[in-house]
Amino acid sequence: MKLSVYELVGENCLTMEDGQKIYDLIYPELQAGRTVELDFDKAKIFASPFFNFSIGRLLKDIKPEDLNRLFKVINLVPVGREVLKRVIENSKQYYSDENTRKALDDVLLEQGEDL
Amino acid sequence: MKKISLSIPKINDYTTDDFDVLFNLWNQVNNDNMDVTYEFSQCNFLRHNAVAFLGGLTRLIQARGGTVRFALGSIPIKVKDNLEQNGFISTLGFEGTPRTGNSIPYREDLHQDETVLVDYLKTKWLGRGWVHVSDRLRDKIVGRVWEIYANAFEHGKSPIGIFSCGQHYPRRHELKLTVVDFGVGIPSNVRIYARNQNISADKALQWAFKRGTTTKPNGTSRGMGLDLLKEFVKLNKGKLEVFSHEGYAIIDSEGERFMNRGTFFEGTLVNITFICDESYYHMASERVDEEPLF
Repeated sequence: MKLSVYELVGENCLTMEDGQKIYDLIYPELQAGRTVELDFDKAKIFASPFFNFSIGRLLKDIKPEDLNRLFKVINLVPVGREVLKRVIENSKQYYSDENTRKALDDVLLEQGEDL
Repeated sequence: MKKISLSIPKINDYTTDDFDVLFNLWNQVNNDNMDVTYEFSQCNFLRHNAVAFLGGLTRLIQARGGTVRFALGSIPIKVKDNLEQNGFISTLGFEGTPRTGNSIPYREDLHQDETVLVDYLKTKWLGRGWVHVSDRLRDKIVGRVWEIYANAFEHGKSPIGIFSCGQHYPRRHELKLTVVDFGVGIPSNVRIYARNQNISADKALQWAFKRGTTTKPNGTSRGMGLDLLKEFVKLNKGKLEVFSHEGYAIIDSEGERFMNRGTFFEGTLVNITFICDESYYHMASERVDEEPLF
């Protein structure tokens, strides 16, 4: 499957809602083991809520090695790639497995108590 | 209805004392059914932070069943001219029409309207010819500033919305923006999330600025916005200040400082300063990154 981000959400990749739109389209394909190419041509402005909801969440159910094999991002300018890489780094840590995720939430709670 | 005359002094944004003036105004009217008259005879200028804050304060008083009047005759001509130019007076339903001048418009946003807000940041705040930045740097700044709005709308729980105003200071090559909400404040969200009411406001802000921390996990990894913004500000000689409850965070090229202050404000005020000169900015390499994404 090939998808144009610009055609789906326009040049601003900012909100959770727009991220969700992309996620809803790509997740079933990737989950079924089919390839997805996400084209960011003409997309200009990027923020973390969009990437958290569109791509970061994929790591909850799909292994990084499978995503590297099935999912391709093209024409993403460096400004966008910088945000996306940060989001992926954060998501990998968060979703590395369910126990780690729960442990991290617990750590956050403890940090709150210790601060 | 309790009547009160609120004397608005001159308000700057140089030190935290300037912000205390605003929070003390909020303290004086933080009740239901107030009949408030803003009086400006002691005010010879109002910075953007004061404009955004007073706009929000007006809506807060109105939302709580109160009334706000402007003693228009008391406003010095220079201040009135600025408040007319930036649309503050007309937005709040008083006389005057906004004009194109050197001021950056005052905004009220009840909902997160991406198109309108991006247009405001791109064309009315950054894109007025006074900031010499390339399109790609402009887009990067807009994306980073968007994180402030995204946080305010998602976490602020402000029943009256978000209030913004900017200003350009040509001699100092600075471009500023204040975004304020009158919601529950960052410390309140952190305390609820951590189930610990004893967390101090400064520690709560410190926690909120840590990478990956968010009070709304909902099964989705989050908490990158403030981290991305603070990194950008640090690298580019800008300044980011956050006031919430008695907590105060300041982030600049010298680092991050978190402290508690004597003045309380229930919502959250963010004041950001950027330098209007591309040579200050570090951009990511244009080199094609071939590393695997995941």
